[in-house]
Amino acid sequence: MSVLAKATYFWRSAAVGLRHSPFVHFIAVTTIAIALFSAGMARGAARMLDNLLASLGGEVEVTVYLAPELGEDEVHGMRSRVEELSAGQVTVVPPDAALTRLRTELGDLGDALAELPENPLPATLELRVPPEKRNPAALQALAKELRALPGVSGVDYGEAAVERLTAIARALRFGSLVAFVVVLGATVIIVAATLQLAIYARRGEIEIQKLVGATDRFVKAPFLLEGLLQGLMGAGVALLGLWAFGRLLGPTLGQLFAFLLGPGVGTAWVEPRLALELVGAGCGLGLGGSFVAVGRFLRV
Amino acid sequence: MIQFFHVYKAYPGDPPVLSDINLNVEKGEFVFLTGPSGAGKTTLLKLIFCAEKATKGQILVGGRNIARIRESAVPYLRRNIGVVFQDFKLLPHRTVEDNVSFTLDVLGVPRAEAREKVRRMLKLVGLEHKADSFPLRLSGGEQQRVVIARALVNDPTILLADEPTGNLDPALTVEIMDLLTQVNVRGTTVVVATHDATLLSRYQKRTVRLERGQIVSDEDGVKAARRMAAV
Ligand SMILES: Nc1ncnc2c1ncn2[C@@H]1O[C@H](COP(=O)(O)OP(=O)(O)O)[C@@H](O)[C@H]1O
Ligand SMILES: [Mg+2]
Repeated sequence: MSVLAKATYFWRSAAVGLRHSPFVHFIAVTTIAIALFSAGMARGAARMLDNLLASLGGEVEVTVYLAPELGEDEVHGMRSRVEELSAGQVTVVPPDAALTRLRTELGDLGDALAELPENPLPATLELRVPPEKRNPAALQALAKELRALPGVSGVDYGEAAVERLTAIARALRFGSLVAFVVVLGATVIIVAATLQLAIYARRGEIEIQKLVGATDRFVKAPFLLEGLLQGLMGAGVALLGLWAFGRLLGPTLGQLFAFLLGPGVGTAWVEPRLALELVGAGCGLGLGGSFVAVGRFLRV
Repeated sequence: MIQFFHVYKAYPGDPPVLSDINLNVEKGEFVFLTGPSGAGKTTLLKLIFCAEKATKGQILVGGRNIARIRESAVPYLRRNIGVVFQDFKLLPHRTVEDNVSFTLDVLGVPRAEAREKVRRMLKLVGLEHKADSFPLRLSGGEQQRVVIARALVNDPTILLADEPTGNLDPALTVEIMDLLTQVNVRGTTVVVATHDATLLSRYQKRTVRLERGQIVSDEDGVKAARRMAAV
């Protein structure tokens, strides 16, 4: 008895199976390919969304209002404190500049401000938050710290906007996860159904195998291998599709989103990591389907 | 080699197909199992290679009690039993060589070695020139010989043949039966189920007669020959 001889037999048998009913296997491979292609596309879309969030998050500025009684030196002292604390970029907006800005923003009404005897606005610090702190929790913590500083009279940041964006991103990610699980389940069922047909087509062979002393495992192995091969082929087709998609539409998409995302987005759709994950998922789908089929339909 | 002790077999809802079967087949024996159609011959053979389970009683095959055998042990039992099926059970889309090789594939015999064994076996049954043909291109007798080759290629200790000459003309019948006796001479225990009385008189071997599921007579070869001579 030789393991090698058995292994070659299983491979040959699985290959015969694939040739025996090409249409059925074509359907299984196509289904797996579509599922994996969609997963790859979802990945690409999620990456774009992340980039979008990051770039929108770049707009997130924290405005720190300083106490009006602070002198110029103290304002600059505050500036370094805040920079140190937040690891971000801080711009000082002196009261005069703030007033001018307010006047232009108010338009006609702004002229009324000219009548004021003295500038009521305090100096402010505008803080550009570093990317790793552009999420609600980190921003909230930062704001709290800043508020506690002596000489700070108020802190303001786009709390609601940040929270809403993050919530949208989370919902999208959860939605695609649910959709992905549903697609995976459906794929396993379709693969199982096609393998059921394959098993049915070879029932004569299975009967004789049993009669001449084949163990259950020996009878089942070629079908599991067929499922595995289907998964591998499906992953291959999906990767090819994603690669072609990236090649054909990537540049167009990149241009389309360039104004939002900046350059360099939408270039590599198929990274080695994604490829590995898809091949793994393909094998999982194929094997899962064949396990279901063999378990349910191969009562040997 | 094969022992039955008070064996009963009934399909649910029907009267028993076999009742109170007691039988002892020695190693190296040649036994005819005869009786009218429907007497239970096929069922009895099926019990031996575990294609059916006895309702009651004990069956020993090669010393193993197969009434209590685990499902997972059945394949290993079958590897010692060659079966020639009444309906052949050949795969139409596989060549003669692949059909015979089936028995060896299951055991994981390396391909080159299997090929060698299959060729030798096909030569023994006189079909070496048909190795690459497909079963449906062969005559009934040739198909029957392929089935015998498949049953024997693994050197089983027991050969069961169910109506091996049922579909053959007299000349081919002689050919097949000569082959089976030859196999027996080489040491294999052979049980042949047949309703063909001319076989019994020609070969004069131990004959177990079944009628309506019961053994009605069991005579050894000498006795059978004497009775034949008296007729
Ligand atoms: N799977 C089955 N279910 C019910 N009855 C069966 C089954 N197989 C055989 N029988 C019955 O058992 C009896 C004996 O059949 P069988 O062993 O094939 O006889 P033989 O081979 O001597 O012609 C017959 O009456 C047949 O109808
Ligand atoms: Mg019969």
